[in-house]
Amino acid sequence: MTTAELSAPPSSLAHLHAARPMRSPTRIALGRFLRHRAAMVGMIILIGIILYVVVGSLIFSEAEANYNDTSLRLQPPSALHPFGTDRVGRDILARTIYGGQISLIIGFVSMLIEISLGTAAGAIAGYYGGLIDTVLMRFTEAMLSIPSLVLLLVMAKFFGGKIADIELFGRTFSGSVLVIILILGLTSWMELSRIVRSNVLVLKESDFVLAARAMGASDKRIILAHLLPNSMATIIVAATLGVATAILSEAYVSFLGLGVQAPTASWGNILTEAQEFQIIKDAPWYWLFPSLLILLTVLSINYVGDGLRDALDPRTDKRV
Amino acid sequence: MLGKRFCLVWVVLAALGGIFGPVTAQGRSIITIDFQQELDTLNPLYTGMWFMTTAADMYLSPPWYIDDTLTPVPALVTEIPSAANGLISEDNRSITLKLRDDIVWSDGEPITADDFVFTYEMLVSPNNAPDTRYPYDEKIESVVAADERTVVVTYTEPFAPWLTNTFHDFPPIPAHILRPVFEAEGTIDNAAWNRAADVVSGPFKPVEWVAGSHIAFERNENYWGEPAKFDGVFMRFVPEDATVVASLVSGDTDVGTFIAYSDTPALEDAGVNIELVNSGYNEGWFLNFDPETANPAMLDVNVRKAIVLAFDRDKFNQDINLGKTYTPASFWEGTPYKDPDSAPLPYDPDMANQLLDEAGWVDSNGDGVRDKDGVELVLRHITNQRQIRKDLQVIAQQQLAEVGIKLEIENYDSNIFFGGYADDAPMAKGRFDIAELSDVGDFPDPNVSRFLCSQIPSEDNPSGYNDQHYCNEQVDALFTEQAQTVDFDKRVELFHEIDRLMNADIAWAGIWYDPDLWAINSRISNTRVSGADPLWNIAGWEVSG
Amino acid sequence: MTGYVLRRLLQAIPLLIIVSVVIFVLLQSAGDPLAIMGGRVPPRPDDRERLRRQLGLDQPMLTQYLYWLIGNDWTLVDRDGDGTADTPGVRRGVLRGDFGQSIVTNQPAIDIVLSRIPNTLILSVSSQMVIIVAGLGLGLLSALRQYSRLDNALTTLTFIGFSMPIFLIAVGFMYIFAVKFREWGLPYFPTSGMFDPREGPTVAQVAWHLILPMMSIAIISVARYSRYIRSTMLETINSDYIRTARAKGLSERGILYHHAFKNAALPIVTLIGLDLPGLLAGAVVTESIFAWPGMGLLFLEHLSRLDYAVLMAILLMITVAVIVFQLLTDLTYTWLDPRIRYA
Repeated sequence: MTTAELSAPPSSLAHLHAARPMRSPTRIALGRFLRHRAAMVGMIILIGIILYVVVGSLIFSEAEANYNDTSLRLQPPSALHPFGTDRVGRDILARTIYGGQISLIIGFVSMLIEISLGTAAGAIAGYYGGLIDTVLMRFTEAMLSIPSLVLLLVMAKFFGGKIADIELFGRTFSGSVLVIILILGLTSWMELSRIVRSNVLVLKESDFVLAARAMGASDKRIILAHLLPNSMATIIVAATLGVATAILSEAYVSFLGLGVQAPTASWGNILTEAQEFQIIKDAPWYWLFPSLLILLTVLSINYVGDGLRDALDPRTDKRV
Repeated sequence: MLGKRFCLVWVVLAALGGIFGPVTAQGRSIITIDFQQELDTLNPLYTGMWFMTTAADMYLSPPWYIDDTLTPVPALVTEIPSAANGLISEDNRSITLKLRDDIVWSDGEPITADDFVFTYEMLVSPNNAPDTRYPYDEKIESVVAADERTVVVTYTEPFAPWLTNTFHDFPPIPAHILRPVFEAEGTIDNAAWNRAADVVSGPFKPVEWVAGSHIAFERNENYWGEPAKFDGVFMRFVPEDATVVASLVSGDTDVGTFIAYSDTPALEDAGVNIELVNSGYNEGWFLNFDPETANPAMLDVNVRKAIVLAFDRDKFNQDINLGKTYTPASFWEGTPYKDPDSAPLPYDPDMANQLLDEAGWVDSNGDGVRDKDGVELVLRHITNQRQIRKDLQVIAQQQLAEVGIKLEIENYDSNIFFGGYADDAPMAKGRFDIAELSDVGDFPDPNVSRFLCSQIPSEDNPSGYNDQHYCNEQVDALFTEQAQTVDFDKRVELFHEIDRLMNADIAWAGIWYDPDLWAINSRISNTRVSGADPLWNIAGWEVSG
Repeated sequence: MTGYVLRRLLQAIPLLIIVSVVIFVLLQSAGDPLAIMGGRVPPRPDDRERLRRQLGLDQPMLTQYLYWLIGNDWTLVDRDGDGTADTPGVRRGVLRGDFGQSIVTNQPAIDIVLSRIPNTLILSVSSQMVIIVAGLGLGLLSALRQYSRLDNALTTLTFIGFSMPIFLIAVGFMYIFAVKFREWGLPYFPTSGMFDPREGPTVAQVAWHLILPMMSIAIISVARYSRYIRSTMLETINSDYIRTARAKGLSERGILYHHAFKNAALPIVTLIGLDLPGLLAGAVVTESIFAWPGMGLLFLEHLSRLDYAVLMAILLMITVAVIVFQLLTDLTYTWLDPRIRYA
């Protein structure tokens, strides 16, 4: 993942400075990233979580994660069930492992859709203005006005129980998982597009963009090399928030009959099942562990994102 | 900066609230009831909603209540009609209601036979859009005021479930208020009374309805019966079960209902009384008999039997329903109409395996699922989004897998699950092998039409009830006969026979007997909650402290 | 600029029509409003058919939309089911201010919706204030002390709220501050509602009932503001012209207020502009948990009944708000940064 991210175009001023040392901007950025303490901590946590859901699945089988024994309903954490058991007596540890796989995929993929669409729409609308801005922004307004809840209800009616299963990492999922990844991504990009557009509106009038244009740089180059790098920080915040939102929304979407279906676990649906007074009061382990895993995921993405941003920004040399 | 100042204002207000908040109005005894759904209307004609019909008993008097022992208690009438007192005619078609002579509306106007006739006219008028007209449109020939105190209801044929109908379902509405509206507007669909019922016949009177929040009821000082023992009722609308439970535990509210069995320990710990009342409902599996849509295995009674034998219903009720209920043997569990000799099938996976083997369903390809003639024994279990049903699905899936049946589980939003044939709804269109829901007849009357051959939905009959396509000529004939059998003992006999036949067919498998759950603060006593008319004696509730 | 505003307002007309068509089609496709009618058992088939006709739900979708838009008082409808359309329609259509009747309560949809606006604004505006103030404060603190312990602590704290479902936070608060505090004899909060019905809707009562839902909303949403503010502040502080200003010897304070803040304001204005229409829409889950009779709860309850007249009225109102506030946001940009021009 890191190499792909790092081959992204360097920030606006990077290529001006690039003449100075012999090292390429990519190597400089990589060096900065590796020296970024917060980013490294975030990276380690993120790798830890990925290991948790991957290695964990080698220790527990999916059948164990779904195995219920009603006489063990809502048992507190013990040596046998370190995270306790759920409302039908399933092992919550095993469920957070298998739930993590699906939640992380949903979170990351829909986040990628969100930031790709949001960044593209915002940058293009802001840079070109005129008719393109009008069309894109009116479309954004339309999307902001149509509640995703209604969209999901209808999708649930049309796709519910009618999509073939898919195989992923040797596991079988309802094919509607793809539908909800798409829906989550396609209904969440508007906020980012508006923010990126506002950045671009300011930057495109700035001296360095005017200079680049005077020197004959193409629109594509100006957007990719000058405008977007300056919106990196915003995009990273949107990505961080987007992952958490997608992981939590998945549970609600799946509740309508699309997406992750019982008995398959997801972090979101474990939390949804815990939404009962008696459980919130007496069985904190039920909601504590999945919440903690989501929190760690979000925090680690946040710090990795911070590190990436700092690494790609040549102006910030005084980094830890 | 404005924000900070604003916050400060709130903090000060909050502090004031803290001082005055928890202090309750002095000297007035008021009961708070939390309902999860807001009432649609105060006019019983326009809703079949359970919360509304329950609330109506507080402000509208029916001819009789059905009490906690499921016995009719006269209200507006002097006595319950019967053959013995001559108020049921010889041909069993006419029911005479003898009205008390002291009954009055809250504005002092007498309640007369005319109010009953008017209510009937409003129900069947094509200018009104009531929720349902049953049975007034198809079973009732006429409603006549023989004199000011006598109403004669004539059915088209002997109508066995008359007790739960005949204005018990639609208590009379005030003709002197609504008739002028009908004459002026041509309909009472939009009458002001529907939302501000200021003239009522029950022990309480709605005085304020704040949409989305609550309805305040005050004692009807002009009530014709024994006046209520406390001053008023606040009916709050609180959509989330968890909030209702929290409010009951904290004491913010006195009465709540429709709470999951799994939340009862928290209530019991807090000293809240739990009352389970028989409402006739039973959670059950409706098995699909339609050769077009069901797995062919479903057409074999022994396979159906094996399915039921393979699921441990008793353990489910013990562990998940916390032993608050049990496995019903009959669709009419808890009523005299249940076949007394019937017993639920036991949990017996060995016998299930044996039955499936004998029926020719064996795992010939070694994939862990039985098959026959190239068809895998994969069954679809569908239900709606209630958490307990989703819990059951995964438990049943695991247990049925142990006898080689693969259960595919699906759940739908209620608007889709209960949708009609024309909407391509999963149940109506037969996209299931097992459908799980809780159902009841005209409780406490046992009449039910979902098992009739004539109710099978199709292109020609898109609104049929019988989603499972169960059709047994013998059962059909018995259903037709019982509906016209007014004599109680004879009817009971007929139902025992129906129950026996249906159990033999394994048309329906009970999962849990599903009484209504009422949670009531211990400061309230003499609550005789009934499954048919839950708040029938609310005027007699006693409040201490 | 006037020309631009006029153009935007003209563009709103086709946009509103398109959005209303899309939402109408979606709602009509979502299920059958007569499937349960709010009861425990589905209604009798005969009644379902009769009601479908009486409520006009038997008409083709396009006809229903047309009736909704321009009314049906110019034509005849079949209300009594005799097969001939012989009753004059009574609806006047949205274009003439008639949003139709709720199939749940038989009231005019627009009255139902308007009556919830004050309640929802009390909760959403006060929550939004807390979110903006807290978001600005925490975001600024984090940016000025980037990577300090304080920054890390604030990051973690705000993300805790963001990583938990609102249901858990809300019911958790209710359990601690309403149930447990009462048990422990401490001053406690009410579990739900807008006021104690015994006391009536006094200012003190409403304020007291407001605290828990407001805090629940704030805790889950503050991260969104504080993170965006932190990142744009950092971006601005490190930008070239701020460095130039610093090099010129301007005071930190002056730089912060006059340069950094104004430039960081654009994304914040964008966020606020995006949130303002949502203030009218209310908080669906929070209002439902705390039984707060606002727009979100109204939307949820009428969505579960597929009461399209009410839903359309709510959604159309939100669409108008989105259009207006996006226009205002774009105008604010040019005020904050005069270089911005919309060609």
